[in-house]
Amino acid sequence: MLPESIELLALAAFALAIALVFMPDRSPRRRLALQGGAGLAGTAAVAAVPTFDLALLVLVLLAVFQAALEGRRPTAACLKAPGVAVALLALAAVFARVGGPELIHRFAAVGLGAGLAAALGLLPYLHVFDPEEPVTASPIGWLAFVGPVLAAVIVAGAQGLLPADAGAAFGAVLIGLGVVNMAWGSLAAWLTESNGAAWRYSFVADWGLALCGFGLTLADGRRAALLVLFTVVLGRLPLYLASRQAGKDRVVTERPVNLLVAAALAGSAPFAGFAARVLLLRGATQLFWPLALVLALVMLLWLPGSLRLGRSMGLPRGRQALGVALVLALNVAAGLYPLPLLAGARL
Amino acid sequence: MVEVAAAFVAWLGVSLVVLSDARRGLALGTLLAAAGLAGVALPEAGPAGTLALVAGGAVAAARRFTAGPGGWGILPPGSTPRLILCVAGGLLALWVGLAVMTGEGAALRFAVMSGVGLAGARALSSADTSVAQTAFAVLALAVAAGAALGADAGVWPFLAGAGAAVAVTWAPGRVQRAA
Repeated sequence: MLPESIELLALAAFALAIALVFMPDRSPRRRLALQGGAGLAGTAAVAAVPTFDLALLVLVLLAVFQAALEGRRPTAACLKAPGVAVALLALAAVFARVGGPELIHRFAAVGLGAGLAAALGLLPYLHVFDPEEPVTASPIGWLAFVGPVLAAVIVAGAQGLLPADAGAAFGAVLIGLGVVNMAWGSLAAWLTESNGAAWRYSFVADWGLALCGFGLTLADGRRAALLVLFTVVLGRLPLYLASRQAGKDRVVTERPVNLLVAAALAGSAPFAGFAARVLLLRGATQLFWPLALVLALVMLLWLPGSLRLGRSMGLPRGRQALGVALVLALNVAAGLYPLPLLAGARL
Repeated sequence: MVEVAAAFVAWLGVSLVVLSDARRGLALGTLLAAAGLAGVALPEAGPAGTLALVAGGAVAAARRFTAGPGGWGILPPGSTPRLILCVAGGLLALWVGLAVMTGEGAALRFAVMSGVGLAGARALSSADTSVAQTAFAVLALAVAAGAALGADAGVWPFLAGAGAAVAVTWAPGRVQRAA
């Protein structure tokens, strides 16, 4: 198993534990533990299997498992995007393995990038989203829980399958998808009507950063991607879970805690998102400096959406307030001293 | 010659899954697709892998035969675009697998590409649970057969593909919760 996958898996397990310990008393703890634990086991299986094909088959099982959970979308709607993802990734694997002109391997690179986006639920394959749906049955499960490990496995699989030239094309596809998702996600998180949809788009925007990091194919890019995924799993996801209660009560507050949450979500210093952005900009400058300029401009779009999401948190109380404080503290710690996190993933 | 026939059977089976809306047509399509994919994968998958694919497809087909909308439902009114998809998708896979790609195993490449492509398209276009699950089962079988294109695949991908196909068709449909 890849060290990166092991670390991301551990982060997902920790996020699940935080959700279970700090969720409000009236929440269905047992159901979340069972469904989250099963999802975690499936995610571990994706990372642990020795071949790319087996990872795809585990992905099929994960999609079917999620579609069978109690939710609001019909089964067929739940299976659409994972079906496209598995088909694209499998076709890409065929194209990567056979002999032929160089173009074939470039098609494989495009298929791997598009399949990754479809599996995660990013543009241009946004999953159908219902803010009222339980988190385990919603697309947020793919974006924030299964997705990070899946992305690490697919990127590593792509590096094993593709020759060097096509590997560069794969990086370019990821950067292109990343910039589009950053721009669209951050703008939509700011401008969309529903707060639930705004949270979903904010995940999409963060994934744009992670895809750019993976696509840079430099050490700094991989480090940035890992830190972004840390902020997704142990920052945005627990804060989203905390905000769901406020969303139900339609509470919007403007207190210092809301400003702190907004700062963490926007990736400002000293939170982990800031370190990720610095690494990403440094890597982009090394590769092609105009890309760093574009990334820096798009990163500014995080601010209005994050302020909105911060306000939508309401005022956390009781054990939920403790959970929010813990998440913010973890993000500050990772932002100030990310080396243990990076060393754990051998980056 | 056997591989060519098996590849054609695989394409025919997946096309039946695309063209059918009811359980008999879907079950027959699943069975044919599994048999064809197993046939083309035989040289690399070996007897155990081939048997696993056939068994997985047979169990999935049996399940589909007993659950879902009744009848054959092949080529219902309005299915012309799906028919065109099957023919055009098959021709495209044939051209890419035979003329563009090089090396041994053209039949396997054709069967896997047409199987994955058509089953993926069916999963994307369907609004019915039994159809989507059947498309997913065939997709799992095609992904498993595609493992035969890799070096030293072993028997595990074929067993996993068969298991996934069975699990997909036996999984309960999502319970709709009132808004």
